Amino acid sequence: MFAKELLKQSLPLLILCGLGGVVAGSTLGVMTDLLENIPGLIVIIPAIIAMRGNISTTFGSRLGSAYHLGIINSDNMWNEELKQNIIGSLVLSFLISITIGILAYIIAIVFFDINPNPLKLIFIVLIAGVVSGVILTVLTIVIIYAVFKRGYDPDNITGPALATFGDIITMLSIFGSAIIVEVIL
Amino acid sequence: MIYSWKRIVRYGLPLLTLCVLIELFAGQILQSGQNTLLKIPIYLISIPVINGVGGNIGSILGARLASGLHVGYINLDIRDKKMHENFLTSLLIGIITYTVLAIIIYYIASFSRITMGIGLIEFVFVLLAVGSLLICVVSVVSIFTAFLSFKRGKDPDDFVAPVVTTIGDTMGIIFLFLLIGVA
Repeated sequence: MFAKELLKQSLPLLILCGLGGVVAGSTLGVMTDLLENIPGLIVIIPAIIAMRGNISTTFGSRLGSAYHLGIINSDNMWNEELKQNIIGSLVLSFLISITIGILAYIIAIVFFDINPNPLKLIFIVLIAGVVSGVILTVLTIVIIYAVFKRGYDPDNITGPALATFGDIITMLSIFGSAIIVEVIL
Repeated sequence: MIYSWKRIVRYGLPLLTLCVLIELFAGQILQSGQNTLLKIPIYLISIPVINGVGGNIGSILGARLASGLHVGYINLDIRDKKMHENFLTSLLIGIITYTVLAIIIYYIASFSRITMGIGLIEFVFVLLAVGSLLICVVSVVSIFTAFLSFKRGKDPDDFVAPVVTTIGDTMGIIFLFLLIGVA
């Protein structure tokens, strides 16, 4: 019975992830000083979070299908299929990060009538995007391995788990890279 | 080999760029309602939760449909029984999750004294109404995206989650604003 399995495996996780959302939102609360000092930073936050969530959940979703198709499992994890997925996710993180930096710069000028430092913005997004990308990729593999081992359906778990961890890790990465860039540039 | 990083990037890049643009637009809507929301902070702290749960349920549904289509136990048919079963379970999970989280958020809020005279029943009702609307929208979007991408010979796994979470984030904010009367 698919419905019962879905209910049992996903419900507790969804409630936990809802609470994780509150934690991620609270991180924003401690960043108010940085947000004031770096114009344009607030514009890029929803975009980086969206990028991270989308790249990680599609990664997890593909691994779920790969599991159902029988080309990946806990005994046969580290194969070429997984490697291609990892490279694909990291290349996407890199390219989309640069795109966000450029878009945020344009949007900040057009809509907010502020003139941010474009290099600063692009570097913040790039560092945050790549760092969170590497951490999330490792985390995805760990989660997938744990899910396989327990015999759960990865489709019920990876999406919410990665989206929530992704939000928290991304917020911390933006926070960290904003501080680093602010000190260097 | 089924997967190649070049194909993942080729399909992912245009879609993700579009999603990022729409998210930036959702941020603008939020910005426009910021002043009203700051006066009723209990709804402000609910936004990530509303969007998160909606996006998660839509993504789970999409991931399940994608696996079903890949393996073949779900047919490319709008009357497919397995698909209906998955849809109804998503709605049920959504209703339970939103109710539980609404009660938890309410008590967190009353602990920090930011309920602003809004009663528990009223708050649960608003979150449940926004949540149910959102689940219906993301589920339908999830089914259509999975079916359409699969029909065109694309991998649904590449498309469903980004489309669903992006529409979920935008519609979640719009539904909440409509229900609590933020103009």
